[in-house]
Amino acid sequence: MNEIAVFFLHGLAYAGLLFLVSSGLTLVFGMMNVLNFAHASFYMLGAYFAYSLLQIIGNFWLALLVSPLLLLIIGAVVERFLLRKVHVLGHVHELLLTFGLAYIIHEAVKWVWGTDPHALAVSGFLAGTVNIIGITYPVYRLFVFGVSVALGLFMWLVLFKTKIGIIVRAAVEDSSMVAALGIKVPMVFMGVFAVGAALSGLAGVTAGPLMSVDPGMAGAILVDAFVVIVVGGMGSLGGAVMASVIIGELQSFGVLLFPKFSLALIYMLMAVVLVIRPEGLFGEKQ
Amino acid sequence: MECRHTGRLLGLVLAALLLLGSLPYLLPGYQLRLFTEIIIFSLFAVSYNLLLGYAGLISFGHAMFFGIGAFAVANFCNHISGIPLLAAVALGTGLTTVMGFLVGCLLLRVKGTPFALLTLAFNALFYAIATKWYPVTGGDDGLIIEPHKVNLGIAVIDPSKGPDFYYLTLIVLGAAILACWYFTRTAMGRTVVLMRENEDRLRFLGYNTMLARLILFTISAGLAGLAGCFYTIFYAFVSIDALSIDMTTTVLLMTFIGGTGNFAGPILGVGAYTYLQNLLSELTDSWPLIMGVLFIIMVLFTPGGLVGIFKSLAQRFARRPGSADQ
Repeated sequence: MNEIAVFFLHGLAYAGLLFLVSSGLTLVFGMMNVLNFAHASFYMLGAYFAYSLLQIIGNFWLALLVSPLLLLIIGAVVERFLLRKVHVLGHVHELLLTFGLAYIIHEAVKWVWGTDPHALAVSGFLAGTVNIIGITYPVYRLFVFGVSVALGLFMWLVLFKTKIGIIVRAAVEDSSMVAALGIKVPMVFMGVFAVGAALSGLAGVTAGPLMSVDPGMAGAILVDAFVVIVVGGMGSLGGAVMASVIIGELQSFGVLLFPKFSLALIYMLMAVVLVIRPEGLFGEKQ
Repeated sequence: MECRHTGRLLGLVLAALLLLGSLPYLLPGYQLRLFTEIIIFSLFAVSYNLLLGYAGLISFGHAMFFGIGAFAVANFCNHISGIPLLAAVALGTGLTTVMGFLVGCLLLRVKGTPFALLTLAFNALFYAIATKWYPVTGGDDGLIIEPHKVNLGIAVIDPSKGPDFYYLTLIVLGAAILACWYFTRTAMGRTVVLMRENEDRLRFLGYNTMLARLILFTISAGLAGLAGCFYTIFYAFVSIDALSIDMTTTVLLMTFIGGTGNFAGPILGVGAYTYLQNLLSELTDSWPLIMGVLFIIMVLFTPGGLVGIFKSLAQRFARRPGSADQ
């Protein structure tokens, strides 16, 4: 019984992390129709920035705030000076550009920080444990889940209950009409991409203490995040929530029940979804 | 006009064949090995360009087929005693073609960006399987093979000897590359290009575009597998690097640097990439960073690749009045 509870909570923590990564990915895809291959690289940069910030200032909360802000700036610069330039060449070039960026960031990280894994240690109450439903459980994993729930609610509020959300969604539907109403559409897209990058930075900092910070962390999460948005439906926020929970739990119980095939399980889920509903559980038909 | 053009082409082809045939006598051993590697990667890049350049299908998982071919030939050579080398290559290519068909059936259900995403996911899946499937892939250690000699009746080819393997590669892979070129000229090859430009119209005309795409994907996978087979024999060794996403990145960079809009582009790209890599890796360990920056610059400013640059240069010179070219 206790074991099941522990694995359930592990699954939720991983689901939280998956949502933090895939929410930004699906936001950018849904709003700009660009699949950002460099998204997981931004996530890795977020973790490395947090590592360096911790070395200098030694405060995890400050790192949690500053690292996404740095990614926000990087995201804005990438959109303004690179992505916007290739937009006219079509979506193949956009994909090539983000793929190339992912490659460069991977190599640059190895160059700057080396290939050895680093540990990102938290202190204070986050490093402790807590008693819930009869078991002792690390606070940090619950914190990850909490951050993702807060972020999900925040994104939903901004996108569907504020004027900013209306403008962004309208710019996707009919950008020339929105432009005619006096709104700078390129600024809106730059903002969306920058926020997507900041979200992945947040995810990177949050992931740091859970797993080691190393150059392989981008590749490891990228495929899982891809599976989340394929299963959930590309561009759907609700789909990302559902798929994160399903895949997080599947991954967690997969390790418990079929240790050898745990990795294959999520691919099998993806293949099944692809055969039955190619547009994903919550996706719209193309 | 047409006749003169053909005559010129024939002369060019003969000169090229003569040059390629005499290379083992002209180049030192190290350079010859480099050139053999260029031929192997040329087939890989040409097969990739059939998808990217001709069909407009962007795949981030082409190394999965290269890797399947590479591991298949290693296993056939090691486990079937006395198998002729070319039979192992044929079996490896056949197996990759079948895998290409199966993967294509699943992936081609979606188009555009979701397709690109899934190719990467499947590449990661095959890589994950390869790291765990120790008996077949050797895990992190890789597999060593001892290629058998090829007895042609009139001559015996020893794959471990540089010039012998060069000729074998030149003939088999050269034929495959020529077959690709011929394919792009057939009705089927032209259908693929039309499909890229206006799929709705083709479907309206009664073409089964889904089938055409699947056939192209299968052929492209099989050719990548053939290149993978030669890659294993060339090094007498294969590791999981052969089907890693890094390998996919390599072929993508090579193809794009050369130029996707032209049949010869990828071959030019492979040559440029290989020599540049050789040059840079002597100077710095971070040579992939330079390659990446170069790639981004080309995506931004010269979408036509090296071929595009040469074409626009040629046009500029041709237009200038009174220049030596006229």
